[in-house]
Amino acid sequence: MKTALVAALGTAISTVALGLVPALAQTPAQPAKDVKVALIAPLSGPWARQGQLMQMGADMAIDEINQKGGIKALGGAKMKLVVADAGDTTEKAKNAAERLLSQEPDLIGGTGAWLSSFTLAVTEVTERAQLPWLTLSYSDAITDRGFKYVFQTSPTADHMAREMIPTVIKLAESAGAKRPQTMGIVMDNTAANVSYVKPMHEGWLDQYGLKLVVDQVYTPPLSDATPLIQKVRSARPDFLLLLSSNVPDDKMLLEKLDEFGLGTRKLPTIGSGTHMGTPELLKVTDAEMLEGLLTGASDWGLKGQEDIIARFRQRTGEPWINQDSITAYGDMWILKEAVERVGAADRVKIGDELHKIDITEGPAAVAYPGPVKFDDKGRRVDAPLIIVQWQKGQAVSVFPTDRALAKAFWPAQ
Amino acid sequence: MRLNPGTTATARHLWAIVGLCVVVLAAAFAIRSEYDEGVLVLVLLWATLSVAWNLLSGYSGLFSFGHAAFWGLGAYTVALGLVNFGLTPWLGIPLAAVVGGCAGALIGYPTFRLRGHYFALAMLAYPLAMLYVFEWLGYQEVPLPMERTAPILYMQFDDKRAYVVLALALLVAALLVSLWVETTRFGRALMAIKQNEPAAEAAGIDTWRWKMRAIVLSGALAAMAGGLYAVVLLVVTPDSVFGMLVSSQPLILSLFGGIGSLWGPVIGATVLVPLAEVLNAQLGDKIPGIQGVVYGVAIIAIILWAPEGVYWRVREKVTRSGLAGSEPRPRSAPVMALPQPRSGQGDLLVLRGVGISFGGLRALDDVGLSVQDGSLHGIIGPNGAGKTTLFNVINGFLRPQSGSIAFAGTSLLGLMPNRVCRCGIGRTFQVVRAFARMTVVENVIVGAYIGARDDRVAEQMALAALDRVGIADRADSMAGGLTTRELRLMELARALVPQPRLLLLDETLAGLGHEDLDSILSVIRRLRDEGMTVLIIEHTMQAMVRLVDRFTVLDHGRVIASGAPAEVVRDRRVIEAYLGRRWTDRVSETAAGDI
Repeated sequence: MKTALVAALGTAISTVALGLVPALAQTPAQPAKDVKVALIAPLSGPWARQGQLMQMGADMAIDEINQKGGIKALGGAKMKLVVADAGDTTEKAKNAAERLLSQEPDLIGGTGAWLSSFTLAVTEVTERAQLPWLTLSYSDAITDRGFKYVFQTSPTADHMAREMIPTVIKLAESAGAKRPQTMGIVMDNTAANVSYVKPMHEGWLDQYGLKLVVDQVYTPPLSDATPLIQKVRSARPDFLLLLSSNVPDDKMLLEKLDEFGLGTRKLPTIGSGTHMGTPELLKVTDAEMLEGLLTGASDWGLKGQEDIIARFRQRTGEPWINQDSITAYGDMWILKEAVERVGAADRVKIGDELHKIDITEGPAAVAYPGPVKFDDKGRRVDAPLIIVQWQKGQAVSVFPTDRALAKAFWPAQ
Repeated sequence: MRLNPGTTATARHLWAIVGLCVVVLAAAFAIRSEYDEGVLVLVLLWATLSVAWNLLSGYSGLFSFGHAAFWGLGAYTVALGLVNFGLTPWLGIPLAAVVGGCAGALIGYPTFRLRGHYFALAMLAYPLAMLYVFEWLGYQEVPLPMERTAPILYMQFDDKRAYVVLALALLVAALLVSLWVETTRFGRALMAIKQNEPAAEAAGIDTWRWKMRAIVLSGALAAMAGGLYAVVLLVVTPDSVFGMLVSSQPLILSLFGGIGSLWGPVIGATVLVPLAEVLNAQLGDKIPGIQGVVYGVAIIAIILWAPEGVYWRVREKVTRSGLAGSEPRPRSAPVMALPQPRSGQGDLLVLRGVGISFGGLRALDDVGLSVQDGSLHGIIGPNGAGKTTLFNVINGFLRPQSGSIAFAGTSLLGLMPNRVCRCGIGRTFQVVRAFARMTVVENVIVGAYIGARDDRVAEQMALAALDRVGIADRADSMAGGLTTRELRLMELARALVPQPRLLLLDETLAGLGHEDLDSILSVIRRLRDEGMTVLIIEHTMQAMVRLVDRFTVLDHGRVIASGAPAEVVRDRRVIEAYLGRRWTDRVSETAAGDI
């Protein structure tokens, strides 16, 4: 009883004392501690380019955050990006996550690791450490494991696949072409594509009155596209889903289509994934061959992002901003916003906050199509599919129409 | 009797394994970061895979570029067992061992028909094929679900040190199996296969069976490690478990550390796995990709310094400085009971109408031959007459297309060489097929495994055989350092040690000087006097005339003469075959007897 009284008295006195000398307690010379966020992405190996694009976006966001005065709730603390290379194997990606967590115990969140199998492994580590983790990977499995600290900003693969077909039909009809009756699939057997077409193989196409007239699977890397495209030519579908997963295969398939007189102007061709919208693809083919080619993504340069796009182009020399860069950019802003709201660099609280967050303005809100809000599984609510089309040597967003920078055209004559 | 050298070496290895456990456990408790513990687990797992690889490829020399097949099957067994059937990895990993062992048998059965590079290339195909099969089955990404209610029951620990202990247990198991193999006839058989498979087969080793056992064991160990890898990595993709990187890892680690040694693979994993990880950590985010370059350069540098691997290099240095001048001790050979001389009654080996062709070449054509029990029978003929082919047909390397071969009344047709050897036929080779990196006595022991159940008995038999040919004093020398005469005698001892009834000697006298020739001739005569039946090939007639009881002359795959030496050398066809028609004419003119 007595001790409690003394303690209370002491506390009261010290509070008063501190209140009298606030300037002394917080000297301006001592900067607030950095708030550290992580990026794990493939920076070496076959996916290095995608990792670099992510890093460009994340770096830009960090610079902007710090230029605008850092994190205000923490006395202007600077945000700091820690980067780790996920390399070319799942093992390396997981090691990178474990290493980051060991070396940077005060991380408050992060983004990565681009390839969905890398993300699956990385999030096994981050979840156990209760580190909030944002990802653009599509795989449904990522947010199907009941994890609490994983947030998927992209629509899932399953969702994208279900969105793509009705959107394409709408596109054809609005362009005045006849409603497509038949379709073809040429795909490789990588994880993303296999789960993408799964519902299409399970009778889901019937509701759209679509018939699958050619269905070809290959194992990447492709050595010769001729037999695949021959099948397409003899079946002559109304449109073609071309699901590859790297630029060299894209080039080979598109050139072969062109050679067989099935160029994108004759046979509407729809890809998937951001590699179908990269400047590299333009470098190895030509604008004429790509004209009209459609592809799906979770994010792309959109209306409202004009300033971001301009700054990004100026900073990096890239001709346009794609999903990898804009998402990494937005992820940094989401984390910043969460820290501001929590008012502490506490990863568990930030994770909880992300489940409640609903950002409606500022760079984070602009960076994504649809609301910045997560459901119980950690999936972004109403994240729409973005459709990108090649028009005059540029890959531009054409759908959803309210945010798209250009108007789509249906390439068939 | 001296102590078995294996016993002390085995004890040393066992202590080293205990030491390894202490060091690893101490390290696990000393390091505080989960990341470092994770790397330690990977070191142990890759070391286990490398030890498993070494068990097959290091000892037998049959390079497998496809151990990812076992690793991946293990990983998928555990992952799919857990996802589809709720099977805990505690049972999944033992099941993975069974799957890996069966896969070893299924892979070994067709693939052991191939040798050398062809074997290596065929092995390369298995994991690649499996990679596509698992992709086709739709197992592109199999995450292991997090068990929240009873994590330990599903091998999911918060404390990473538990994985260190588990991985260490697997490595110790692999090392113990490996040690057992290395110190028993299993290992000697594999080493004999590595150095000379035909010789091993001719010495009575059932090479196919030993190779199958090795691949089954190796596959089981590799699959167990793969299973734990799945538990640790938590996500299994075809690329991460069947990929080329996985198959090349045990090769690189074992070659680096020292192939064919117990500790080489462990050394390789201990150095290279953390090195790669440190490089990834230090350079990966600064100059992406440079880590691969530095890693490659480091490996090249060390391989240049130690071409056979770190272990052998260090051992060489240690033995040179520590044990310089310690000559191999001469050993006293035990007295061996000689086989009872048999009365030279009847024919021991009878060939009738034996024929074999290689494409258009008729190598043996209707060859008939009877070798009398207890006789010294010579086969002569010019180069290319078919002499060695005849031996290969008798001891089972080749199967004749026609005719019959009977040994002591039973047919030898269709028997594998090791079976023929077990029937009581030993042979030597035209070019000595020694196991150069084994000692003389080890070379000979290989031949003793037929008769001896026990390895000690085998060693005694080997020493006795060496004594019988008169080189017991060289028992502990490396076979690589022997003279031609000693090599011939060692090979003779190896053929003798299973106590055969018939010896096939293929140009045992070739390339010897006068003195050496006499010493070997006396050994052969003594063997005959002791009751052995000897069939010997030569193309120089001089030595043979002094040695044999009976001659058979081959030319172009046919028997052109047969009989006592004195008759045969006067035979016109023989002279013609050796010297040409002009000589025959001169011989008949002068009617001279001597050639």
